[in-house]
Amino acid sequence: MIDEAILKNWFFAEIFPLDAALTRFIRRNWRNEADVADLRQDIYARVYASASERLPLQAKPFLYITARNHLINCAKRAKIVSFEHVADLDSLGFPHDAITPDRQLTAREELYRAQEGLNRLPPRCREVVMLRKIEGLSTREASERLGVGIDTIEQQLVHGMRALVDFMLGGSGKIRRKATKPRVSIKREL
Amino acid sequence: MTSALSREHTATAWLIRREENGWTADDNARLEAWLNADPKNRIAFYRMQFGWQKVDRLAALREPAVPMPVHNSARWWGRRGVGPALSIAASLALGAIIVWHLVGLERHTYTTSIGGRIEVPLSDGSKIELNTDTRLRAEVNANSRTVWLENGEAYFDVAHDATRPFVVHGGTRNITVLGTKFSVRRDGDRVEVVVLEGRVRVDDLASPERAVVITRGDIAISQGVALNIKHSEEHAADELSWRRGMLTFNEMTLVDAAAEFNRYNHKQLVVVDPRAAAVHIGGSFDATNVEAFVRLLRQGFGLRVEDEGNVIRISR
Repeated sequence: MIDEAILKNWFFAEIFPLDAALTRFIRRNWRNEADVADLRQDIYARVYASASERLPLQAKPFLYITARNHLINCAKRAKIVSFEHVADLDSLGFPHDAITPDRQLTAREELYRAQEGLNRLPPRCREVVMLRKIEGLSTREASERLGVGIDTIEQQLVHGMRALVDFMLGGSGKIRRKATKPRVSIKREL
Repeated sequence: MTSALSREHTATAWLIRREENGWTADDNARLEAWLNADPKNRIAFYRMQFGWQKVDRLAALREPAVPMPVHNSARWWGRRGVGPALSIAASLALGAIIVWHLVGLERHTYTTSIGGRIEVPLSDGSKIELNTDTRLRAEVNANSRTVWLENGEAYFDVAHDATRPFVVHGGTRNITVLGTKFSVRRDGDRVEVVVLEGRVRVDDLASPERAVVITRGDIAISQGVALNIKHSEEHAADELSWRRGMLTFNEMTLVDAAAEFNRYNHKQLVVVDPRAAAVHIGGSFDATNVEAFVRLLRQGFGLRVEDEGNVIRISR
């Protein structure tokens, strides 16, 4: 078993820098956009499971093979099987540029990028994030400054930070609201 | 099953709480329990943390006394009208400070080969995606942002900055960005502009009075003096499917579809028979998988296909 701290460092150094490239790969080889986040999560979970036994020597080919196999499995399991789709995935082979990392940004470029992400947030969300990340206020301090409840601040912060992280990892930086209402199961009277 | 998005949501809430002053050993134990409950929780947490560190670059803005962006904020919080204006003014002020620090000049040439596609971040926060067989130069300095599209096609996601106009030079046309997301394709003197979001102005270099402003869902195609504009958000989205590596045809003739495929592949499709050329094709295809497309032509349309290595001949 690999030590958790080593595993985490390996993910930060080798896997997460490929996040945008992996997302592009999934999007390119999977028709339903709504599945992308879940597929990415499943692929990471598979990588994590194997890596906790033994760290792969080369992260990029390993991530690619894992992603490709996972998409093939999902395509085969799908209710309506598109043989063409499975065949296409099978024939992918090993293109050397299938998962190409983007050039790593310099610190200055990352700052610009973070600023641009900030500019794209809705005004309230942006303000809460600025108070936190630029002024360094805690949730309570921000709530006192703005005269709104702590829960509201925390909600805005969660939405804003998620959108910003998405943007920094190469996404659109749009806010995605979670469906807050729990799913109600309807009891059927027999 | 917990979706990835809701896991991300929970992970973000944990990250925020962990930074607070009142974080206790009990809290830490509960976080550990959540992380250990499912490796997917742990991965979601790590991934958010990874991006979070990048967002922390914003702390660099703390140093020289940043103008306090939230004057009277308690008052405007409840009033929608004033808030955004103040906040936008504050962001612009921050932008100005950063520009002040940027003294260097950035000028680069980017190219892609046939079938290639790359994404290039610019130092102002904008992004350019180059499609197949494309060459462009980009220059960002303190006063302006300029791109010269020499040939090919590119998609632009432009960071808002009113003080530095973003201009794309494409042969006989200049495209000035007034908004955010659009693409430009250049084949010789034919220039096509597709707008996904916001507005852009297309100037004719030969007669500057003939400028047009096009908006979301508009497609402008110019060749020589002629300029043709149509509006269809669906078509605009189809035109940009190359960003996902796909080609989307909407009842396109086979000869045009073949020309599209030929932009992305060394293996060239040649339609040798006018009856085959007139066949109409619809659907989405992987741009670099000519074999799959040809299979469809043979099996779905009953066309004759002869593979000669570098060339595939199609007839009826």
